[in-house]
Amino acid sequence: MYLLAIESSCDETAAAVCADGKILSNFIATQKVHEMYGGVVPELASRAHMQHIVPVVHQALEKAGCTPTQLDAVAFTQAPGLIGSLLVGAQFAKSLALSLNIPLIPVHHMQAHVLANLIPEERPSFPFLCLTVSGGHTQIVRCNSPLDMQVIGETIDDAAGEAFDKSAKLLGLPYPGGPLVDKYAREGNPERFSFPEPRIPGLNFSFSGLKTSILYFLRNAGTSLLYKEEFKATDEERTAFIQNNLADLCASIQHRIISILLNKMKKAVEETGIREVCIAGGVSANSGLRQALKETGDKLGWKTYIPPFEYCTDNAAMIAITGYYKYQAGQFADLSVAASARAEWE
Amino acid sequence: MEKVFSLEQLPETAQWVWEQAGDIKVLALHGEMGAGKTTLVHALCRSKGVTDVTGSPTFSLINEYAAPGSGRIYHLDLYRLRDEEEAIYAGVEDCLYSGYPCLVEWPEKAPGIFPPETLHLYLEPLNEGSRRLRIGRN
Repeated sequence: MYLLAIESSCDETAAAVCADGKILSNFIATQKVHEMYGGVVPELASRAHMQHIVPVVHQALEKAGCTPTQLDAVAFTQAPGLIGSLLVGAQFAKSLALSLNIPLIPVHHMQAHVLANLIPEERPSFPFLCLTVSGGHTQIVRCNSPLDMQVIGETIDDAAGEAFDKSAKLLGLPYPGGPLVDKYAREGNPERFSFPEPRIPGLNFSFSGLKTSILYFLRNAGTSLLYKEEFKATDEERTAFIQNNLADLCASIQHRIISILLNKMKKAVEETGIREVCIAGGVSANSGLRQALKETGDKLGWKTYIPPFEYCTDNAAMIAITGYYKYQAGQFADLSVAASARAEWE
Repeated sequence: MEKVFSLEQLPETAQWVWEQAGDIKVLALHGEMGAGKTTLVHALCRSKGVTDVTGSPTFSLINEYAAPGSGRIYHLDLYRLRDEEEAIYAGVEDCLYSGYPCLVEWPEKAPGIFPPETLHLYLEPLNEGSRRLRIGRN
């Protein structure tokens, strides 16, 4: 059984092919195709998707050794995302399903991130908890079976990846600065500066208060976390403070973001009694988070899983694996199915 | 017009903003990082009965929420965009002229695509966590 999957929810156009749930190919336009085709790859939007979708699908099919007529189904990201970007993938998938007369399978991007954990050989057993952390999302999902999951916690403002990127921006690092914060943090002392942990009820997260206290702390060149006119440092003092303490600042900020994430995971484990714990999403590339998850898991008796990086960032392999389970369950859509920008799932 | 408000006064401030907006659909929220733009958007949405989670659209660019009265509310963030052209390709214009309420953060990234009848909100932090909000038609 061959399935083609298409992902176009945000900046990247991706395609993957799987055979009976095994990933045969997984291509992303901003990487491989860009190298192969050269030329400018615009960062954003539907025009870039339109340029990329045919070559990317072609690559994915070729690598998988599969022709379009061999396909048994086509899956695509239906929601959430940028509507103009989603539409490109949705229309392409619909046209292909219509012309080949094969089932069309709509996939929710956030459910697919969770199911990326089922791609590797070593996979969690059900039920499991998944912390999905990326530039746009921060969620704790309880997954009972491949097609039965609930969001049990999520951010009420900024996402964790955004907290990394915006902190980096405040430190004068280039965007997206999350990976740079991770890099400098390795050399720094995470206990040096103490940023407040928000008190948010239940399993929800908040990162905007942390962002604001970092902003004020830097504005005051490290003298206070509060906004007061008399604490404001000069530009020279601020720049010198950041330069002299960059590693410790990065380590302390990263330490706090990770502790916010893992403290909620501990609470989720306590409340659900589930000790199979996964992460997903682009921020799972952060070395501090990977290490902290493993250490916390070892200490508290969790089994932890981190998928390979190519399945953590936005990719089509996760759409393929989700499509495969929906195919088995016969969850198909007709051609009237619409792409949606809304993040909620029923 | 301007108003100084604390975190506790957010709901009444949101209501005041909607009263000032009248028939105006597009609200542009100006203010530095940490000024409280996303927090104000949250209050504005709650005041219109939105129950969806109103997270930051910095990464997603455009969030869409279901709203009981108007049907939907768009929450946009132009932070990652370079200029008007990128904003148009990202579908920002489609939202701004859709007739649905639009709450836009970082509008200064693409000032040229806003309709003339836009309400501009300027947020500024003050001492002890309070904020100053100034409202104008331009």
